[in-house]
Amino acid sequence: MSPRREKLTSPQTRVALARGNRPAQHLLPLPEPVDAEAARRLFRRQRRIAIRTVALLSLLLFGMSGAFALLPALGEVRIAELPLSWLLLTVAIYPLLFGLALWHVRAAERAEDRSQAGGPSGGER
Amino acid sequence: MISVLTIGLVLVTSLAIGLYGVRAARSASDFLVASRRVNPNWNATAIAGEYLSAASVLGLAGLLLKNGLGTMWYAVGFTAGYVAVVALVAGPMRRSGAYTVPDFAEYRLGAPPLRKLCGCVVLVIMLLYLVPQFKGAGVVFALVSGTPYWVGVVLAGLVVSGSIAVGGMRSATYVQAFHYVVKLGFIAVPAVYLVVVAGADTRSEALHPEWGTRFPESTGVEFSVGTRFDLDRPVTVTDSSGAEVRLAAGEHTAEEGTEYVFPAGAPVPHPAGLPDLGGERWSTPLLDTGGHPVFETWSTLLAITFGCMGLPHVIMRFHTSPSARVARRVAVGVIALLGLFYLFPTVYGLLGRVLTPQLVLLRGTDTVAVVLPAQAEPGAVGTLMTALVAAGAFGAFLSTSSGLLLALAGGLSHDLFQGSVPRLRLAVAVGACVAVVLALPAQRIDINVLVLWAFTVAASTFCPLLVLGIWWRGLTLPGAAAGLVVGAVTATGAVGWSILAEVPTWLPGVLLAQPAAWTVPLAFATMAVCSRLARPPEWAEHAVLRLHSP
Repeated sequence: MSPRREKLTSPQTRVALARGNRPAQHLLPLPEPVDAEAARRLFRRQRRIAIRTVALLSLLLFGMSGAFALLPALGEVRIAELPLSWLLLTVAIYPLLFGLALWHVRAAERAEDRSQAGGPSGGER
Repeated sequence: MISVLTIGLVLVTSLAIGLYGVRAARSASDFLVASRRVNPNWNATAIAGEYLSAASVLGLAGLLLKNGLGTMWYAVGFTAGYVAVVALVAGPMRRSGAYTVPDFAEYRLGAPPLRKLCGCVVLVIMLLYLVPQFKGAGVVFALVSGTPYWVGVVLAGLVVSGSIAVGGMRSATYVQAFHYVVKLGFIAVPAVYLVVVAGADTRSEALHPEWGTRFPESTGVEFSVGTRFDLDRPVTVTDSSGAEVRLAAGEHTAEEGTEYVFPAGAPVPHPAGLPDLGGERWSTPLLDTGGHPVFETWSTLLAITFGCMGLPHVIMRFHTSPSARVARRVAVGVIALLGLFYLFPTVYGLLGRVLTPQLVLLRGTDTVAVVLPAQAEPGAVGTLMTALVAAGAFGAFLSTSSGLLLALAGGLSHDLFQGSVPRLRLAVAVGACVAVVLALPAQRIDINVLVLWAFTVAASTFCPLLVLGIWWRGLTLPGAAAGLVVGAVTATGAVGWSILAEVPTWLPGVLLAQPAAWTVPLAFATMAVCSRLARPPEWAEHAVLRLHSP
């Protein structure tokens, strides 16, 4: 174990440790967005996309479990001996979850691209 | 014996990969840069490897055997949690520069006392999550080596603290990725083997619970705890002295230490309080332990889906991606890997009902995945398959608990005390000791009940803090602090009460056992309302917009 061990801390922790008990005056320096209005627009667009995804996720989870409660027939229909409700819960739901996440990422990235193309770029982090 | 060897092989390989990975990246800057150069696919595999714990490898199959198909909602929740992570926190957390929730609280609200409060909540969540991991390891060790449960738990504690001290599994992406492969392979191969070897009759029986659940062969049941059970039809059993005992239909109580041999074909009695194995309640895919299936399922889904984003070891992993975009994409990859893994636990639960129903009477359903292969095929191959599952379960325990212990130790030393590396080591040892001591009396509590407790606390504390902190500029210090305290106290208290004490009859037990449906909205509401007590500082909008600026 020859090389010396170094302690790793996140930028935020370093800021906090360096400050000690003095009151919080500076956070991690915030890069001023060049165009605050564009940043606000992007924020609102991202929030809409996030709300849409969470709403669809809730619909999928609560809707499917609600359907199992309301329609016991789902357990009687069988596909290759497997009850349909079991098949939905143990297999079919995973591709749906994956597709939903993929769709969200596409939408969020498109929003970012459009905002960068539309105004002066906010610069790299 | 072969199981012990396989477990040893997994352990040695992990240590070897860990040591190699650590040597490749030694200095702090190397480490950061190297970890950000990790291929996103490896990164996703590593995250899935750390996330799949004993609850997934052992707990799901066990709970499915005991409570029925609804259990698989846990697996769906574990996966759906990552959809919520992708939608709500992955990108912004990466941009915030915060590695942990206390860091984020500092970034967003700029108040050191809040950091300490968050540190305390991290401790609670981590301990609640560690205890079931040690329980799982103890059960597996005890099963494969024949030692008592407590020896297994203590041994597991020694192995984990030892392996952290030797190699430091931390962020060694390849160790975690290796563990995902171990877990997937060691649960998938025996599952496929079981399906093939079980034969057409057993397979049909597994898919038709309405045909009834019977002992497949003459089965000895040794009650290690006193158990009340119901019989639908009279059965003649043989007790330990060889005398025949006729059990009439109805309720019976088996004293601790009673031994009954049930004849082949006898219907399996159901212990009091559990659903009839294979009955209507068992085969309806809803969580139903307290008579309110829809409420229980929804509350559990809420806890797991929103608790996922509040787990400290989940959040830390976004920083191994070079940018917010990659962090989001990696999280999508994790969803695919989790979905693939969760196809398999069902096999063990369904076949377990047909082949090893006595586990329900023994209160040992968490071991079904390990016991089943040897039971289905009592030859060398069956033994090998059991060894594989045991090693997979051990890999799950090792990767999750070392990740958790390091997050716990990091939380202790960074957020609560301003500690050094020796203190960090001490914190690992102390954390392992506390988890071992707490796991000793937890043998009879299902792994997933304890894991759900940790998720419920995370969903009622860090989830509102992160979601409101990222998406609402009006969050202020009083709101965050009040919400954290209210969420932590109600969620920890409610579940703890339902596990440790009698629930009064006037109170529906499900409100305490699955409290997320009211504690999560309560925590959100408290944060939103109490935030009005103070004015957000003028840089608050800046702090929020920065999280969303590419």
